Amino acid sequence: MKHNLPLEGIRIIDLSMGWAGPLAARNLADLGADVIKVESCENFDWWRSWEATQEWIDEDGAEKSPAFNSVNRNNRNITLDLSNPEGRELLLKLVKTANAVMENFSGSVLPKLNLGYEVFKKEKKDIILLSMHAFGSTGPWKMFRAYGSTVEQSSGLPHVSGDSTDPPMMHHIAYGDAVAGLNGVSALLIALRYQAKTGKGQFVDLSQVESLFPLASHGITEFTAKAKEPARNGNKSEFFSPYGVYPCKGDDKWIVIQIFNEEQWLNLKKLGGKTFNQFGDLQDRLSRLNELDKAVAEWTTTLEAQKLMYLLQEAKIPAAATHNMPSLLNDPHLSSRGFWQWLDRAVVGNQPNPSAPFIVNGERFPVKTPSPTLGQHNEEILSGILQLTQTDIDRLREKGIIGTKPRMPSLK
Amino acid sequence: MNKALEGMKVVDISGSISTEYCSKIFCDYGAEVINLEPKSGFETRNTPPFIKENNESAMHAYLNTNKLSLIRNELTKNSMDKLISKADLILTNGENSDLTLKAEGVVSEISWFGKGGEYEDFIGTDAQCFALNGMLRILGSVEGPPIIPTGYQAQIIGGMAAFVGSLGQVLGSELGNSKNINHIETSIFEACLCLTEVGAVSFFNTGLEGRRLGVNRFAPTYPLGVFPCKEGWIGLTVLTPNQWHSFCNLLNMEEFASVPEYQTSSGRLENIDIIEPVIQEKLLTFSSNDLFYRAQKKGIPLARVPTMEELLNVDQFLEREAFGSAKLPGGLDLKVPSIPFRLMDTPPLIGGKVAKLGEHTKEFSDEA
Repeated sequence: MKHNLPLEGIRIIDLSMGWAGPLAARNLADLGADVIKVESCENFDWWRSWEATQEWIDEDGAEKSPAFNSVNRNNRNITLDLSNPEGRELLLKLVKTANAVMENFSGSVLPKLNLGYEVFKKEKKDIILLSMHAFGSTGPWKMFRAYGSTVEQSSGLPHVSGDSTDPPMMHHIAYGDAVAGLNGVSALLIALRYQAKTGKGQFVDLSQVESLFPLASHGITEFTAKAKEPARNGNKSEFFSPYGVYPCKGDDKWIVIQIFNEEQWLNLKKLGGKTFNQFGDLQDRLSRLNELDKAVAEWTTTLEAQKLMYLLQEAKIPAAATHNMPSLLNDPHLSSRGFWQWLDRAVVGNQPNPSAPFIVNGERFPVKTPSPTLGQHNEEILSGILQLTQTDIDRLREKGIIGTKPRMPSLK
Repeated sequence: MNKALEGMKVVDISGSISTEYCSKIFCDYGAEVINLEPKSGFETRNTPPFIKENNESAMHAYLNTNKLSLIRNELTKNSMDKLISKADLILTNGENSDLTLKAEGVVSEISWFGKGGEYEDFIGTDAQCFALNGMLRILGSVEGPPIIPTGYQAQIIGGMAAFVGSLGQVLGSELGNSKNINHIETSIFEACLCLTEVGAVSFFNTGLEGRRLGVNRFAPTYPLGVFPCKEGWIGLTVLTPNQWHSFCNLLNMEEFASVPEYQTSSGRLENIDIIEPVIQEKLLTFSSNDLFYRAQKKGIPLARVPTMEELLNVDQFLEREAFGSAKLPGGLDLKVPSIPFRLMDTPPLIGGKVAKLGEHTKEFSDEA
């Protein structure tokens, strides 16, 4: 990049684990913040594995998690055993040099370590603490636990998703995590700007479940606007037709087609030929929905999804083939926009890194460094930022307060 | 200064769900947000769902509390130039680019697919973003068709991503880091890739491709999904061996707790035909509410799966003001989600007034 990154000079201490917090931290690191991720050898990020065994440790499993590696790039990594008073003190010294701390533990974890906003504030008056608890830091459910899937289940979204003949439908992929992550970085940016303007820090309370409410807002507002639970219509629309996901040639190949106006319908009719001639205006099409869907499916099933997508889009008809996740790495659109940034990473070799979704003055934000290995920056941070001597660092290593290999808790 | 973004000026010239969600975050934290609308109003005013009493858009009401509405055709060139040049941030979907010519702040453009690339000229929709990002393929029954996610989820995710890029840039400029940046581009499709990128990177490393396993069934975790109870629905996620033990204990199915093959998620998924009928039968003996509290007390992350009505009446959410009132012209009140995070010393606006089309035009015209 020809210019400095926007958040250069800002330091974030990232205690978060899993996906939500680290995704927020990744965005901050992409924007140029110095993000220092703190793990410990016993309490390492569970995104590396939630079923760790000694064999997994021996085989360097902690460094092989694609999920962990794709979300922790551009940051630095230190291990500190926070249950040890000396490890805890070192964390507080790091906090003294930082603009913000972030965490997404359950509500009981920081208090057990005698850590929290008031403790951090004593170290640094203008510190920001972002807590990303599942249900937020207040209210009767503040201590309740959740994964990204639990967050989605609690958000109301399943009840407005899927088909009425099925149970309320989840999207999963730990949906709540990713969306909370985007909210987390938004919250921190607002707090950082306020800090820059006024010299004041503050506590920031994020609820992961509430983070999904905007995605269910069409259902929430429909209920309050009509005093009636929204129907789960599956792929059907009460306003448009044809509208749905239609089969194409081949195994599990599909195309989304959504006709929103008469011009699009007429264009589709031209392509589909006489198959569609028996259907008229929107009212007619909506009244013969199943019949029309069947006719569209009969037409699409003889065609290749990818070719059909281009054909329909050329005719100004909203359409998309249903791609699978592996194909994203070879997606021609993403390739030509330089979306994947490839970097060599210890243990696993050359890896694809997804770019930040925003481009400034025509340039991508760079993925400068791959996800660090556990404790990769212990010495750099301890001797550089905290000015410890090599003897001090060796002693911390001997006492197990720092390290570069996970340990099973039973071996502690 | 008790609003975190007080003093910032944001102008939305396009009024898509993405630009409006992006500017909503600015507005909720105190920025002045001006909707510069055409005479016919922004498209979101005609976006479902609609309010029973007046047929106006409930979605528009949700996205536009506390914003100002101006009709651009009714402003003089001078007023318009002043408004645009003084804005810290201008939000656009790429149309009406002439309106941004006088911009001195950052222009933030949110489009479906971004500039360049094979899909640049595609007509985009929320469903298409989820088709192309790989998410649609994992939703629905095994035999298909895949099920489209409802509502405007992709556009809202795009709006959030644009907020991050935009405020990051404004802050960077104020910090003296990136003063020469005047254009940000956000692709809604690429924003939605944060949901599925891990699937692509995992495949690159493992060669394993996940297939659609049916509604509410996701490899490699089991049990995970939404299940019926005696009353209501319960959301299950059982991940670790400890959670499996506690879950078996909770449902009085101890015979499964120590079976070696059931200690891992993948092992349980392989034995789903044996396990699921028992789980389903046991769940039907509990109410979801009762089971939820009992599970959370044991540290098992179960969820009550609320309908819209239930969601709006959950104590936890009421206490946190997770929903506010959008007050519409004509006196109607609509419950809408509040911003999901709270800066405790500079709290956000909760609910607020929705402006009539052009309500503030006069205030910004030359003679005002």
